[in-house]
Amino acid sequence: MENKLSNKNKNASQNSSESMYKLNNHYKRMRIAKRIVSHIVLIMFALFAVFPIYYVVITSLNSIGSLAQASLGDLIPSSHLTLSNYIGIIYHHPFLLWLKNTLILTGVSTLVGVLLSITSGLALSRFNIPMKHVLLYMMLILTLFPFTMMVIPYYFMFAHLHLLDSYIGLIIPYSAGALIYSSYLIKNYVDSLPKDYEEAAQMDGLSRRSALFRILVPMSKPVIIFALLIAFMGPYTDYALAGQFITSKSLYTMAIGLYYVSQGDIVINYGTYSAFAVLMGIPIFILFFVFQRYLVSGFSLSTYK
Amino acid sequence: MVESEDYVVKKKKLEWKGIIYVLPAIIVLAFLDFYPIFESVYYSLTDFNSVHFFKYGYVGLANFIYVFTSSDLWTVIGNTLVWSIGSTVVMVPAGFLLALIMNQKKMRGKTIYRTMYLFPWAFPAFITILVWSNMLAYTGGVANEFLNVLGFKSLDWLTSPKYAMISLILVNFWLSFPYYTFVYTSAVQSIPQELYEAAEINGYGPIRTLAHVTLPLLRRQIAFITIFGFIFTWNNFYIPFLLTGGGPGISTEILITYSYLQAFSYSNYSLGAAYAVISIVMLFVFVVVANHYTKMMKILD
Repeated sequence: MENKLSNKNKNASQNSSESMYKLNNHYKRMRIAKRIVSHIVLIMFALFAVFPIYYVVITSLNSIGSLAQASLGDLIPSSHLTLSNYIGIIYHHPFLLWLKNTLILTGVSTLVGVLLSITSGLALSRFNIPMKHVLLYMMLILTLFPFTMMVIPYYFMFAHLHLLDSYIGLIIPYSAGALIYSSYLIKNYVDSLPKDYEEAAQMDGLSRRSALFRILVPMSKPVIIFALLIAFMGPYTDYALAGQFITSKSLYTMAIGLYYVSQGDIVINYGTYSAFAVLMGIPIFILFFVFQRYLVSGFSLSTYK
Repeated sequence: MVESEDYVVKKKKLEWKGIIYVLPAIIVLAFLDFYPIFESVYYSLTDFNSVHFFKYGYVGLANFIYVFTSSDLWTVIGNTLVWSIGSTVVMVPAGFLLALIMNQKKMRGKTIYRTMYLFPWAFPAFITILVWSNMLAYTGGVANEFLNVLGFKSLDWLTSPKYAMISLILVNFWLSFPYYTFVYTSAVQSIPQELYEAAEINGYGPIRTLAHVTLPLLRRQIAFITIFGFIFTWNNFYIPFLLTGGGPGISTEILITYSYLQAFSYSNYSLGAAYAVISIVMLFVFVVVANHYTKMMKILD
C-alpha cells in the first residue's frame, strides 16, 4: 500500500504525508509501548503492596505451629485452611472486650478532636485572626518533636490529675493530637474553596458566622472525612502511650492486647498472632475502603503559590 | 512573576473575635504540646534518672557534654541521616511517578491499582511491621525461602550490620509509598486539564510537559511534601524499634530510638531528653535552611 502510493506520484506533498503516516504509526507504537510499560510498573507495585497482607491472611488460616516450620507451600491456599486460630483468640483471650475498649476510646477521641478542629480550621482560613501565622507555624513546628519527649511529661501531668489508668487520661492527649493536625488539614482545604458562595449568602442576609458554617462546613465534607480517618488511625494502634498509662487488664486496648498475646510467643504461636493481626486490621481496612475517594479529594495543598 | 503578586498585601482589619474559634487549638498547643516540650527540655539540664527520681536537680550542660564526648552520638547521627535520606529519595519520587503514571489520559484500571495501593496504608503499621519482621526472619522467613528456591543463600536481613538498614528502608518504603502516591495524585489532579491540552496542542511530549507544566506548577508542593516526608521519617520510631531494636549493636539506632532507649530501657530520662533536644535542633536548622531555598512555607499563606 505504501509502496503503491509513493510509486504513483512522487511529488513533495505526497512524500510528506507518507512520512507523517509513518511518524503517526511510530507514535502509535510508542504509545502502546508506553501503556504496556505503565501497566507493568503499576502491577509490580500492586503485587508488592498486597503481598504482605496476603501473607498474613493466609498464615492466619493455616495451622502452622511456629515460624520455623513455615514453608513456601503454605502460601498456596489448600484444603488445610482452618479457622481454629480465630476461634482460639475469641475463646482464649478477651478479644471482644479489647475490641470494645478500643472502639470506644478511639471513637470518642476522634470525634472530639475533629469536631473541635472544624471551627479552628475554618477560622484560620477565613478570619484575619491576630498572630495567625505564629499559630500556624507553631502547629507545623510540632511535627519536629519526637513523641518520646511527650511521654514522660504527660505521665507526670496525668499522674498529678489522677487520670492514669483511665480512658479520660488517654482521650485528652489523643484528641489533642487530632485537633491540631485536623485544624491544619481543614485550613488548607478551605483555602482552596472559592469565596463566592459565602459572599453570596451574606448578600442574602446571612450573618458572617452562619454563612461560614452553613456554606463551608458542607463543602468541606471531603476533608472532614479524611481528617476523621487519619485521626482514627493513631489511637487505634497506639501502644507507646496506652502501654505506659493503662495497667488494669479490664481497660486493655487491642494494641496492648496484641503486645500481650505476642510477647515472647510470636515464634511459638505464629498462627494465633497472625489471626490477631488480621482481626485488628479489618475495622480500619473497611473504613479506608469505604471512604477511599476522600483520600484523594480531601488532601489539598493549594496550588499556584 | 508569581513572586510579585505576593507583595500585593491586602490590609485587612484584625478580627479579635476570631480567637474564640481557635481557642481549643491554643489551649491544646499551650498545655498539651509546648508545656511538656519545655518540661522535657528542662529535664535535659537535670540529673533526672531512676536514682534521682523524686529529687532531681539542675546540672547545667553536663548531659550535653557527656553526649558530645561519647562516640555513640556520631554513629547515631550518621544512621539517622542514612535512614532519613535513604527513605526519602526512594519513597517520595516513587509516589510521584506512580501518580503521574496513573494520571495519564485514558489509563485503564486506575481504581483497581489505587485500591491495591491502599493495602499498606490501611493496615495498622504497628501490625504490618511485625508481619515484615516475620517475613524477613532468617529461618522460616518468606524472603529467605524465596531466595533458597531461586538458588541463593539466606540473608541476615535484620541481624547483620550490612543489610539491617537496607531492610528498614525497604519496609519503610512499603509502608509509605501509598501515602505519597495519594498525596501526589491529589496534587497532580489540582492542575487544570486545559494546561495539559494546551501543551499537547503545542506538540509537547510527556517529558517536556513534565518539565514545563507539571513540575513548575507543583514545585512548592513537591518541596513541602519532600521536606515533611524527611522530617516524618527522621522521627519515625516504630520501624527501627520493632524490626531491629536499633541492632545489631547500635548500627540501626537513630536519634529517636536512641533517646527512647536511654529514657525507658536505661531509665536515664535526662540523657534521653538531651538526645531528643539534639534531634530537634538539627531538624529546626534543616527546616529553616530548606525553607530559605524553597519558600515552601508559602503554601500556608
